[in-house]
Amino acid sequence: MTESEAESYRILVVDDEPDVEPLMLQRMRRHIRSGRYSFVFAQNGVEALEVLNSDPDIDMVVSDINMPRMDGLTLLSQIAELNPDLRAVIVSAYGDMKNIRTAMNRGAFDFVTKPLDFDDLQVTIERTLENMKAWKEALSSRDKLVSLQRELDVASQMQQSILPTQFPRGDDFEVFGSMEPARNVGGDFFDVVLLDDGEIGLAIADVSGKGVPAALFMMSSRTLLKGSAIGLTEPGKVLREVNNLLAEDNESAMFVTVLYAVYNPATGHLAYANGGHNLPVIFHGDGSSSVLPYTDGLALAVLSGVEFVEGEITLAPGDTLVLYTDGVTEAMDSENVEFGMDRLQTVFAGGAPQSAEAANEAVFAAVREFVAGAPQSDDITCLTLRRGGAQG
Amino acid sequence: MELKSTREGTNLIVDVEGRVDGTNAMDFQSALEDAIQQSDQGVIMDMGQLQYISSAGLRVILLVAKSLQKQNAKLLGCALSESVREIFAISGFDKIVPVHESRADALKALED
Repeated sequence: MTESEAESYRILVVDDEPDVEPLMLQRMRRHIRSGRYSFVFAQNGVEALEVLNSDPDIDMVVSDINMPRMDGLTLLSQIAELNPDLRAVIVSAYGDMKNIRTAMNRGAFDFVTKPLDFDDLQVTIERTLENMKAWKEALSSRDKLVSLQRELDVASQMQQSILPTQFPRGDDFEVFGSMEPARNVGGDFFDVVLLDDGEIGLAIADVSGKGVPAALFMMSSRTLLKGSAIGLTEPGKVLREVNNLLAEDNESAMFVTVLYAVYNPATGHLAYANGGHNLPVIFHGDGSSSVLPYTDGLALAVLSGVEFVEGEITLAPGDTLVLYTDGVTEAMDSENVEFGMDRLQTVFAGGAPQSAEAANEAVFAAVREFVAGAPQSDDITCLTLRRGGAQG
Repeated sequence: MELKSTREGTNLIVDVEGRVDGTNAMDFQSALEDAIQQSDQGVIMDMGQLQYISSAGLRVILLVAKSLQKQNAKLLGCALSESVREIFAISGFDKIVPVHESRADALKALED
């Protein structure tokens, strides 16, 4: 048994429905028996606070929103004051974006929707616990003098814990993302957010700087982006809101480049705004490619009050949109030659990718082949959206 | 990365050569901070010989621009190569650091 498997976590579940307790104990029995999880239950926010006050060993909270006496959103605000290290996951009705958004803005780490899918809940719990662990280590590293390597390890755990591991797909679209972290620098992340009316928010980002401060900055960027994406349908407004929040008191002058897009799977319509990030490439069904048209913007957290111009395109069936970070285009071979845009745009000259995952892998393979073993100096990240259907 | 500076009146002109990335951004920062004086009214960064700047390098430029702002001084860029100009345009940093064709244009902009 490895060290991480031996760790055990205490989870408080808050729900006013009496069925939840026996169901949770039954469905999570394997993880309870192995000692990884132990559960405590409360029926509303008031009871939950009483439990949190009397049981200091609780690591995370899974809470319903609508409950008598004190609802989940009020509970979240209270938790933030009680113990900012506690992580909370919100359970809400499907499509209840307004409440989900409020929950994210009040510091919820993530959300799951009803009816509860326990496999999905378990994946979410694991990600949340991993993030909490990395966060605690990051805070203690920030306060202590730690070795640079140790600090970079903590930052890298933090980064891994916020990346989605499951991707939405439908009859006529698929999404896939992956990152190959650099050994010692890096600040890339991506996110995929399910929005109202079946739309999908796609974000790719690169934080300047490295180590624990950059990881903490990345964490705030990700949470603010997710919270703003839910409920604000226009990408330009999402970036404007996140930028204004990040730009407040940013003495460290860290910044993050973000490309945020909202995709409508029914129509193929894609609206986007750009906060100083590399422009994505669209690979067409016939093997040709184009770059998403430039729209005016600025890296986030640099200057408050900036407006982000919105662009829009419609993906044709068979089109593949690849969002990437400069780790792809600026990957260098042993002679310091960059991979560059031209090579990226011709990765699929021999034929359009047949799936989002295949497209991602082909880009990574092309970069790997090009650098031929030269050391990787930056994270390499790709997030791919493919519109299925007839080939163009 | 090589950094050379010359002074013209109350303005400082800094020549940056080579590459600025995560491996030497700290050196870039301390070299700039050493070169800049409290009395400087304007700082012109001549990037004619700058081949590449990464986000770590842009962050140093942002830090310098912020601290110059506090002493009511300006930071300008000039003579950017095609690739560096593109980095400034895509990241939007040309909004933070106004970019001019030549050193003479930048000096003229400081006089206006």
